[in-house]
Amino acid sequence: MRHSKLQQQVLVLYRQFLRAAQNKPGFVPRIRDEFRENARIKKTDVMHIEYLYRRGQRQLEQLRDANTKQLGSFSKPERPAETL
Amino acid sequence: MASVRAASRLLSRRTISHVKAISTQYPVVDHEFDAVVVGAGGAGLRAAFGLSEAGFNTACVTKLFPTRSHTVAAQGGINAALGNMEDDDWRWHFYDTVKGSDWLGDQDAIHYMTEQAPAAVVELENFGMPFSRTEDGKIYQRAFGGQSLKYGKGGQAHRCCCVADRTGHSLLHTLYGRSLRYDTSYFVEYFALDLLMEDGQCKGVIALCMEDGSIHRFRAQNTVIATGGYGRTYFSCTSAHTSTGDGNAMVTRAGLPCQDLEFVQFHPTGIYGAGCLITEGCRGEGGILINSEGERFMERYAPNAKDLASRDVVSRSMTIEIREGRGVGPEKDHVYLQLHHLPPQQLATRLPGISETAMIFAGVDVTKEPIPVLPTVHYNMGGIPTNYKGQVIDYTDGKDTVVPGLYACGEAACASVHGANRLGANSLLDLVVFGRACALTIANEHKPGEKLSPLKPSAGEESVANLDKLRFANGSLRTSEIRLNMQKTMQNHAAVFRTGSVLKEGCDKMDDIYQTMEQIKTFDRGIVWNTDLVESLELQNLMLNAVQTINSAEQRKESRGAHAREDFRDRVDEFDYSKPLQGQEKKPFDQHWRKHTLSYVDPKTGKVTLKYRPVIDTSLDEQDCAHVPPAIRSY
Repeated sequence: MRHSKLQQQVLVLYRQFLRAAQNKPGFVPRIRDEFRENARIKKTDVMHIEYLYRRGQRQLEQLRDANTKQLGSFSKPERPAETL
Repeated sequence: MASVRAASRLLSRRTISHVKAISTQYPVVDHEFDAVVVGAGGAGLRAAFGLSEAGFNTACVTKLFPTRSHTVAAQGGINAALGNMEDDDWRWHFYDTVKGSDWLGDQDAIHYMTEQAPAAVVELENFGMPFSRTEDGKIYQRAFGGQSLKYGKGGQAHRCCCVADRTGHSLLHTLYGRSLRYDTSYFVEYFALDLLMEDGQCKGVIALCMEDGSIHRFRAQNTVIATGGYGRTYFSCTSAHTSTGDGNAMVTRAGLPCQDLEFVQFHPTGIYGAGCLITEGCRGEGGILINSEGERFMERYAPNAKDLASRDVVSRSMTIEIREGRGVGPEKDHVYLQLHHLPPQQLATRLPGISETAMIFAGVDVTKEPIPVLPTVHYNMGGIPTNYKGQVIDYTDGKDTVVPGLYACGEAACASVHGANRLGANSLLDLVVFGRACALTIANEHKPGEKLSPLKPSAGEESVANLDKLRFANGSLRTSEIRLNMQKTMQNHAAVFRTGSVLKEGCDKMDDIYQTMEQIKTFDRGIVWNTDLVESLELQNLMLNAVQTINSAEQRKESRGAHAREDFRDRVDEFDYSKPLQGQEKKPFDQHWRKHTLSYVDPKTGKVTLKYRPVIDTSLDEQDCAHVPPAIRSY
């Protein structure tokens, strides 16, 4: 099945992110995780996808900026799932 | 309509079925700049584009969009001895400011500010600020509280340059427009959490991006704090909900002192009930305060300046009138500000904004009825201690020591130009002069592109741990409840008139409320646009400011400027200035109160420690502008 217009845009964004993150340590694993995570969103949930796309574009601009240097993380041990 | 309903049904279904382990991994993006400015109000913007103009790679981190900073709400004007209405001299402005500060202001900083004032106003005018004009096209200057000619002997001075009654709005929009010419990087809606301090040097800031919940560390050789005041520690204030003293709290957590926090200005004319500000410019244009007997009571309290006496004098007079039973209204708990005796077209040209404010918030037509007003918390004279160049200082071994890499300007800083009481229209001047001063000092001492000193990879860990703790807080008290308790306590125990026993009770209550922060409960566990989390962080900041304010007030056993004690009604200086100095013995430093308070807090326990620092009594150039020796302050 061919990709829809929106899917193509998201793939282009993914490629742009990976290219921009080439010389900056720590970004590539996070970019991969975020896109993998959000790939679960249903194709029909267009509002959510477009919101994430717009946010992604802003984050890409910031990544491209020469003053952004690297990505690290602070983490805590995993908590058990909260029952809602 | 159908698509919106369908979309919301989809969203709600998604959140209910989505039960996964909430990630507690916080991605931290590192940025490197030459300078970072925290806050984008009047002072922050001026510092940011001043630095960009000097060639520094600058970042401006702000939790609000620049034009939404509280500077926009300033109404009155900006003082400068331009001499458009009558002959004027900046040395007279210097004298007025020193007197207004009740001799607690540092005279070198006041000298710097008043001498730079005309140049600063002309610079703003060149940026395009639309000042009100006189008939011959010069900048219109109105009368304002505490301003006089010939060192107090020449009557009322007209030196407040204004833009109708929305000067702050114009100033901020002019500065914002000007800042777009330069290549400052703006990080809007980023909440600054803490300073990155290492070996007593400030190496940057750590901030939370509210939009996507990521943490950002801004490493820079120079950090400028311009985060504004903390009016929201009180129940009734003229400040925005965002005035939460974030900069003061960041500095306190870094182990550095805050200066003179007990001096909180109560603006005489805040609308009764709503708390919205009615500018002093109304009284400058001829408005008068009247009590229930229709008397212009300020004539009794300040025979020369009358309604244009200094703000603390007017606030105290109004409170005394209300206490003695001459208040107006059904509860007799406020007074009236009368403007209907002024020509309507003067009200329409010079005071359009407050005409509308009075109609919306008090339901009053200013051309027919008086406005109900009450003294309301408005400004914080105290803040982060700096020298006249804008560098943050600490006081160790009896000397001022500069904290490398850290600067402060605006309401967040305490230079100290306002001392124990601020004159109206000096704050906007303070913003632009010291915003520029910080940029100039940094340009003098450093070069763009300087190599950054190394930083530990785990810098900022405690801030993120605190953030995580608040995000998952599951105690018994909501943020709003704790905040209301703090605000009511401050309002009841540290108001216009303060008494020792009431202050002590307030200190104990505040201590208890500080401990209840352990039982805080938040509801939103997400990280994207978590306003519950941000309000809780702001509450932590407010708490640190509130405990310092009330403890410093309780310790200061005298009345000076805005700090009025019922049990210690007089000013206690090193000499008794009401009598001739001949034959008087100078009191030692620890037996008088003409000194700055420096307060430190242990964030874990909320315990406040106080130290004192002497006032700087010499101007920058004694030949050009002699310092003003202390005297009795009367208007």
